[in-house]
Amino acid sequence: MQYQCTLNREQLVELAIRRYFASVDRKDLEAVLDCFHDNAMLTVQTAFATHVGHAGLRRMFKDFFGAFKTIVHRDFTCTVDAKNGRIAACFVAELLDHGGQTTLLENTNFWRIRGDRFQEVYVYMSGANPLV
Amino acid sequence: MKQLPYEYYVDIVTKRYFHAVDNFDLRTVLDCFHPGASLREMTSNSLHDGIANIEKMFVGLFGAHSRLWHGNFVHTVDVPGQAVCSQFSVEVTSRATGKEIRLENCNRFYLQDGKFMRVFVYMSGENLLK
Repeated sequence: MQYQCTLNREQLVELAIRRYFASVDRKDLEAVLDCFHDNAMLTVQTAFATHVGHAGLRRMFKDFFGAFKTIVHRDFTCTVDAKNGRIAACFVAELLDHGGQTTLLENTNFWRIRGDRFQEVYVYMSGANPLV
Repeated sequence: MKQLPYEYYVDIVTKRYFHAVDNFDLRTVLDCFHPGASLREMTSNSLHDGIANIEKMFVGLFGAHSRLWHGNFVHTVDVPGQAVCSQFSVEVTSRATGKEIRLENCNRFYLQDGKFMRVFVYMSGENLLK
């Protein structure tokens, strides 16, 4: 599906990195959901797990935020296709659980933007899927 | 070097690289890479560094499978960044068992002078790029 996107290159990076991931790392659930359309879909492709709509995403992110004491996403490299409303980014996810164990993942996300929000998000993970 | 057009990135990934992979055309596959290129499979953290090691990996892949198909592409092309990230489906048939498996993968390609310098592969299942 090709969507009409209203964001330019800088705004795509702003949405994906400075709004979305910054909100995830702050565990700010409402700000995270505000990046998605009501009927958006997030698929962890390496685990074939799909979360649909704000209700499905809310449940998944609530569990994810509860499972880890701190969540840090860093070292982003963005690939931006502004003409087609798509952005991909590779990054390190550093997850510290309540037992003091740190998990490091090197993941890649793909976002497809409709208007000014995410319509489809695909996550490819280097390890076990924590977005369950 | 003059900036390459958008379609160059889609074409090298689909019409040259994956077309050659699907047709077991090792020479054309390797011609897409710089001599000093690296290919890293992220889900198993396997690194194939340099064209000789990439060739060895593809000889193994071609030897182990009777059919390879890559399709259903969606590309994210960054012309100023000389990069293309591609999502796609893969179907492969094992020569040993005749069994077909299906994967949903993505690759990140970073180019220099129109050829792949660094390639990162994520697989939805078992790593085939050993």
